[in-house]
This record gives sequence, C-alpha cells and structure tokens, in this order.
Amino acid sequence: MMWLSGGFIFRRGESFYHRLDPRTKLLNSLLMFVTSLLARSVFEMVLVIAFMVGLSAGATVLMRVARTMTFTALFSGFIFVVNIAFTRNLDTSLLYAIRFIAIVVSTSLFFITTSPDELEQVMRMFRLPRDVVFAFVTAVRFIPVMMLDTIQIMDAQKSRGLELEKGNLIRRARNMIPILIPLVVNSVVRSGELAEAMESRAYGAVPRPTTLMAYKARMTDIGVALAAVALFAVAAYSFYFVIPVRFP
Amino acid sequence: MGDILEVEGLSFKYSDAPRNAVSGFNLAIPEGEIVVLAGPSGCGKSTLLRTVNGLIPHMYGGEYSGDVRVGGSSVKGSNMRDLAQSVGFLFQNPENQIFMFTVERDVAFGLENLGVPRNEMRARVDEALGLLRIGDLAQRAPHELSDGQKQRVALAGVLAMRPKLVILDEPTSLLDPRTASELVALVVRLRKELGTTFVVVEHRLDLLMGVADRLVVMEGGKKVAEGTPKDVLFGEEVGTHGVAVPAVTRVQKMLAGEEGVGVERLLTPSELAAAVEGREI
Repeated sequence: MMWLSGGFIFRRGESFYHRLDPRTKLLNSLLMFVTSLLARSVFEMVLVIAFMVGLSAGATVLMRVARTMTFTALFSGFIFVVNIAFTRNLDTSLLYAIRFIAIVVSTSLFFITTSPDELEQVMRMFRLPRDVVFAFVTAVRFIPVMMLDTIQIMDAQKSRGLELEKGNLIRRARNMIPILIPLVVNSVVRSGELAEAMESRAYGAVPRPTTLMAYKARMTDIGVALAAVALFAVAAYSFYFVIPVRFP
Repeated sequence: MGDILEVEGLSFKYSDAPRNAVSGFNLAIPEGEIVVLAGPSGCGKSTLLRTVNGLIPHMYGGEYSGDVRVGGSSVKGSNMRDLAQSVGFLFQNPENQIFMFTVERDVAFGLENLGVPRNEMRARVDEALGLLRIGDLAQRAPHELSDGQKQRVALAGVLAMRPKLVILDEPTSLLDPRTASELVALVVRLRKELGTTFVVVEHRLDLLMGVADRLVVMEGGKKVAEGTPKDVLFGEEVGTHGVAVPAVTRVQKMLAGEEGVGVERLLTPSELAAAVEGREI
C-alpha cells in the first residue's frame, strides 16, 4: 500500500514543474481530468497520457508516476474486460480503460508536485473559509506527529505484554483498543494546547489574513497552461463536432 | 523604566474547580528584567501566565477578581488581538505551537493572522529568523527539526510579533542540558539586543540563577517568596516550598551549617569553583 501511496505523496523537488504556480498545476490537472472525460478516441487519450508523461519526466517524477500507472493498469484491465464482455466493442473498451489511467495520472501529478503549503495557498485563493483551510493544514501537519505517537504507544504497550500480531481478526481488532485510547487522549490534549497557542498568536484577529507567499505567473506557467488548454480544446472540439456522442 | 507587568490582588478559580488556582497574587515587573517563576506542579504558575496573555479570562471561564495590566492596559479590557502583540507566549511543547509546513511560514503565522502586509511581514520574518540564527532552516518542514530547533522556531514566531513581554513556560523541559544552556544564553542576548522582558517558568533553577534579575516562588496559588535570586535562595527555605534548590546553593549552605564556612552567596558553579580555588571573581 505504501508503494501505491508514493504516487500521491509530495516530495520536495527543484524541477520547473515543482516551481510552477500551484494554480497552474491545479488548472493543468483539472483540464487533463476533463479532457480525459471528453476524449472519444483512443488517439486523444494517448495524447493526454503522452502530455502527462512528458510533464512527469520534466518534473523528474516519471518513475513515481509510472509506478502509479502500473498499479492502475490492474484496475484498467478489469474495466477493459467488463466493457468488452458487455459492449463487444474494442474501441470503447480500450478508451474506458485508458481513460481511467489518464484520470489517475493527472491527479497523481498534481499531488506529488504540490506541497501542502501550496495546497493551503490554493484553498485560500479560492476563498475557502479560514477555519476549513486551517483544519486541513492542521490535519496534514500533524500526520507525522501522530505517526510518531502511534509508534511510541505501540512500543510501550508491546513492552507491557500486548501481542498485536496474535489471534484471529476479531482478536487483532480488539488488541488495537489499548493503542487507540491513548492516541485519542493524546490528540485531545494536543488540540487543547494547539487552541491556546493559536489564540496567543492572534488566530482569527482579522477576517482576511494576509500571506507571506507571493505567486506570479511566469513564462513556464503560461506555456504549460496554454498546452493544457490546447489539448482540452482539441478534445472539446472533437467531442461536439467531429465524433457524434454515443453511449453504449 | 516603568513596570511592564502589574498584577494586583489577582484571584482566579476555574469554573469546574473546587478552589482558587491563584489567590491574592501581587507582582510588579519592571521593563527589561528576566524573572524566574518557580514552584511545584499545580501551584498555579500556568494559571498566572494565562492571566497575563489573556487566555484567562478570554478563553477560560471562571471567577476572576483583581487586575492584571500589561504596559498599563488591563488584560481584562483588552482583546486577544492586542494582547498577542504585547505578550508573547512560548509553550512547553514547541511541537504543539508550530502550525505550518515550513519554518518561515510558521514564523509568519501570527503576522498573517494580524493582516500585516507582505513586505513588512517578509522583513519581520527575516529579522526573527536572523535573531534566532535559524535562517538556514527557513524552508525546512517541522518534522525535519530537532527539539532544540523547534523551540527556536516557536520562539522566532513569538518574536516576529515584537512583543514587549515574553513568557517562556518550562522552555527547557524537553531539551538536553547543552541545548537548554544555549536557550538561556539566547534569552540573555535577546534581552540585551531588544530590551524584551522575560518571565520564565523553570524547574531547573541552576540554569537561570546566574542571569535572572528576580526569582518568584509560588505554592498553593500564592506567592511565598520574591526577590533577587541571592536573597530568595539564601534568605528563604525555598526547598520547603517544593522548589529544587540548585546544588551550588545547597553546597554553600552545607558548608555554612556544618563547617562554619562563611557563605558568599554565589549562584553559579563557575563562581563557586573560582571561589574555592581562591581566585578573584
């Protein structure tokens, strides 16, 4: 599972794609997502995937994206088999199978190249309520802390004789209770301390907080956005004017 | 210089508590001092500190009487926005006061909340990082930092708001002895460079007695001793109030009591060592 999740977890990078304005990365992934849905031919789907693979190579994350694609291919195969069984149409079945890969890759590329900090900025740019954005920030920020807490609690309970790996499924689930209770208690205590620290640093003092980060569209942003828009335009054009819409 | 902090007849009882956490407390701290607040766990130190930065009565309800003034303004009559700018609070566990994904964003957290314009914010963040000498950590994530570094980042976030009074709640409790000594040296430097007043809650008195201007001892919600570290440590039996008396003081008291050696009222191991060797101090 960790192997798969690697295809969605951000790691710091210095590539041109990492340095793009997070809005450009979001726009690109959204456009590729929609283009994948609009595309009515295998050729268009291949174009989308080739574009995403090219960007992944530029972002030096090709191996991680390839890993995601390999895993996704299993589900894609399943989609293909089910479709061919029901529709008996090779083109449509192939299209749906490749579409699934394209959707996952477009999402994956966004998440592995966009830091949580940038995600927070994007949420703020979309004027989401401050509390919602901060809830997201806190949830992501404390993942490593909670993981460390969990490991420490597990070690402590194991040293007191708790056998986590023994017994049937129900027994194993019940064995997790001595892990979960201290973890929840820790989290409640932590949330109290967090609330005090937030108040002490003027959280909520003004309705529209400012931000230290400054984003400016550069040539690379414009280039990537234009390429994505062009691909989207081709797919949209062929969807409405070239190939008649057929639903199997 | 005037008093930056004035506490007059303060009593507070949490709404669900059977008795007062702080009772009839009086204290006046002149600007620029380093004050150490000591006492056993549960003696009311944290409650007193919460009344200084406004968490009490603005966040915690209860029976409040008396007055706390910071820079002449009553805490009760001020809002948290103003208090956050005049009183900085470094909590015991730095992990729980670092909110953002990079160090520089976290240092900017309070300024963002205050709506400070970006250019000014950038200058103040850089200044705070420079003061704490952690500019090289600016782009690091919190989970990539040591406890000592986290403590510095949290303090930088506090200092970026340019408070006149900074409260440090057991700042060395999670630090190794060397990092703890570095933190104390940092407090002394910041007091010198910025003129900031520090109130430090600390159990390890030996760390701070050489630099503190004043020692206040609490027990059972009341002040039981106050004065210069020399006067309190050598004049009072602070050990009976649940305070760990520094080894340097204990040695001198033992020498005075058992051997009849004159007590010189020295506060640090280096002073004592020099005295024992007969050097000039």
